Amino acid sequence: MSLAAEAFVSQIAEDQILLSDSASSLAVQTFLRMCGLPVQVSCCANAEYMSPSGKVPFIHVGNQVVSELGPIVQFIKAKGHSLSDGLDDVQRAEMKAYMELVNNMLLTAELYIQWCDDYTATEISRPRYSSPYSWPLNHILAYQKQWEVRRKMNAIGWSGKNLEQVYEDVSQCCQALSQRLGTQPYFFNKQPTELDALVFGHLFTILTTQLTNDELAEKVKSYTNLLSFCHRIEQTYFKEHDRESQSGSSRHSKGSLP
Amino acid sequence: MKNLLLCWGGDWDLPSVHTDSLIVLAYAKFSGAKLAVKSIDWTWRTITASVPQLHYEASTVTEPTQILNFLRKQRFNADYELTAKQGADTMAYIALLEEKLRPALLHTFWVDADNYANLTRPWFTSHSPFPLNFFVPGRQASLALSRILLTKAESPLLNITEVEGKIYSEAKECLNLLSHRLGNFHFFFGDTPTSLDAFVFGHIAPLIKAPLPSGQLQKHLNQLDNLCQFCNTILKNYFNASAEKRTDCSPTAIHDPVDANLQKLTQLVNKESNLIEKMDDNLRSSPQHRPNSTPPS
Repeated sequence: MSLAAEAFVSQIAEDQILLSDSASSLAVQTFLRMCGLPVQVSCCANAEYMSPSGKVPFIHVGNQVVSELGPIVQFIKAKGHSLSDGLDDVQRAEMKAYMELVNNMLLTAELYIQWCDDYTATEISRPRYSSPYSWPLNHILAYQKQWEVRRKMNAIGWSGKNLEQVYEDVSQCCQALSQRLGTQPYFFNKQPTELDALVFGHLFTILTTQLTNDELAEKVKSYTNLLSFCHRIEQTYFKEHDRESQSGSSRHSKGSLP
Repeated sequence: MKNLLLCWGGDWDLPSVHTDSLIVLAYAKFSGAKLAVKSIDWTWRTITASVPQLHYEASTVTEPTQILNFLRKQRFNADYELTAKQGADTMAYIALLEEKLRPALLHTFWVDADNYANLTRPWFTSHSPFPLNFFVPGRQASLALSRILLTKAESPLLNITEVEGKIYSEAKECLNLLSHRLGNFHFFFGDTPTSLDAFVFGHIAPLIKAPLPSGQLQKHLNQLDNLCQFCNTILKNYFNASAEKRTDCSPTAIHDPVDANLQKLTQLVNKESNLIEKMDDNLRSSPQHRPNSTPPS
């Protein structure tokens, strides 16, 4: 059964979106393009509330709504498209393990930097997150989101870390990914899988987003095979849509890779 | 300068009932590090200390990952034979354990009403001093519940029962993945155990050995023979001292499995030959046989 309707990927608006959400959204877009499915991105300010699980991005196919990369991959698989069919059990175990590594380390580090680092939170995250709302709602929502993320960091034990340790964790995660990738074009040799989509989503966003300092991007740049991996996927799947999704804002510009 | 490790005590054939403590204890055995182990049971540390905790000279290290890094810097490294890719795999599988298995383990021991009331709370209550025994289990249980809800429950699923289905199915899938990866090998990377083996052991050993009244995850794990075998092999070869004894991890305590089997075999053969001799004596001294005549074939 083929995917008859087009998939709409919904995410938060361009000048409101933050690093972590942008990364997740790009990962889903990349995955859909890798499957060869037509995809349209639509942005709305209340995407978080429209999503069935409270997380962006989510896809809208016909009259079904599915959010987050894991369930989206399963949904697409049920429709007959899958990138990881050629993998045996051990390889599939490895793929899932590496996807958890990215979620555990990279995504958590992104959230930490956005919301637990006071300087970034004040300069970038809170203003952007609350931009579509008027006073006093913008203050309330921004602080509420920050409080939620800090609670989660507390629960998993990241609240005791300082920024240096978080950068170190990101570096180790990139090192592990770099060593796993080696000189292959994709993580499982010739065919891209959802792991490639996820890694690309996060790394590309980190490399092209301007934060208060460039340390995060520098950490990623020091691994040349990861850089060329990102270039390769960008060239293969995004070249015709390169400039479409660029925002006008100078603070949070997404362009091609340096 | 000895390293002093503080951790929860042992029971159910395990050196410790606490996952993080088990990880550190197993790694210490694998890497040959000598640790003086002190259990925090029946002390005030049950509520004040974050366990496991390693004391070395004046400094203190907590959290299994930090402690393992510290031991590696002291040249107790069980991973030095791993390739770069295997090192990367280790990080990935540890992340998998933390994300997929740990929430279900926390739920099984601390949130499931049956298990908590009949096993976990009585155990921790009986191993904490008065008056802490009223507070320690409750505090751990609420920490476990909040961790599960904050990491796994998205906003519409604020109720724990709705999250349960999801976390148990993820945990079962995780166990299946581990079983596939282990295959028929003794350890995850060949014939010698590494830090990944320590992490997996720490997570699954309590689940295998604890006498849980209601354990759907335990049943699932018992069906995965290679993981149970893995756990028992480590217990037999590295923790063959009984759980109550706190001995140093000296190299002589680590028996070569071949020698141990040989010893057992020798004992059995000796027993058998003693029996045979006795039987022979009985036969010879029985009235039906005269000492000089040969016994009938």
